[in-house]
Amino acid sequence: MAPLSAYLSISAFLFVTGLAIMIYRKNIIAILLGIELILNSAALNFVAYSKYVTGDLDGHIFSLFIIVVAAAEAAVGLAIVIRFFQLKETIHIDEAIELRN
Amino acid sequence: MYYWILFLTSALLTIGSSVLMLWTKNLIHSCIFLLGSLIGIAGLYLSLGADFVAVTQIMVYVGGIVILMLFAMMLTGGKDFVSKRQKILDLIPLMGNKKSLIWASLVAFVFLLSQALLLMKIFSSVKVLDEVSAYSPSVEKIGELLITSHELAFELSSVLLLGALVGAAIIARPKKGRGN
Repeated sequence: MAPLSAYLSISAFLFVTGLAIMIYRKNIIAILLGIELILNSAALNFVAYSKYVTGDLDGHIFSLFIIVVAAAEAAVGLAIVIRFFQLKETIHIDEAIELRN
Repeated sequence: MYYWILFLTSALLTIGSSVLMLWTKNLIHSCIFLLGSLIGIAGLYLSLGADFVAVTQIMVYVGGIVILMLFAMMLTGGKDFVSKRQKILDLIPLMGNKKSLIWASLVAFVFLLSQALLLMKIFSSVKVLDEVSAYSPSVEKIGELLITSHELAFELSSVLLLGALVGAAIIARPKKGRGN
């Protein structure tokens, strides 16, 4: 089997890519896509450690809960995006400046 | 043999899709590449012997979240889909002068170095099992664990999902009759 570090490297790469998408993109939905990647990298780490280090199934349960929380977060986030679009007619992140200063 | 085919294709799919997701300018293409990346992660779960998590990943993400994202993109109009490519230097926020940038990068470097040393200590104390457990179906054990030792979190997640459902419906509803 592939060593644990292979899975950890893939997970770290996914995390960095998600962070780069969150910083680089100016679209709110693209930022949500980056958040999904970051959550998935965390869940992958849980399952990999569960296979290689503890040997029980607690990591699987944790990644199931991560999937549940990600689904809830995506639903509420997209609702906020649609409401923002109704108010502003755009989903560019630089338009959200009401709370500045 | 089958393990290596599954692992390598899934890893390549995951990494390649996430790079393309960052690279492409079109938001809808980016969402489709997210689909590829999530399927690749499901394959990695399968290669780790987590069959139930892999199927849940495909059902929830591919069947639910990505479709939801595509719906939201369609609903919010087409003019913002293709983003203009920016210079990387424009991304640095306007904070003071060159001196403050140098100080900030120095502080960030020292911080990251200390964090890395701390993490190295933790990682070196982790003991990897000598004999990795064999593949076995995990659905029954996960079901048992969910209603015995993890029951509180299970019930709380159902309340969280109900709250997210109601909250999303209330937030996205257009307000009527309040002069808005």
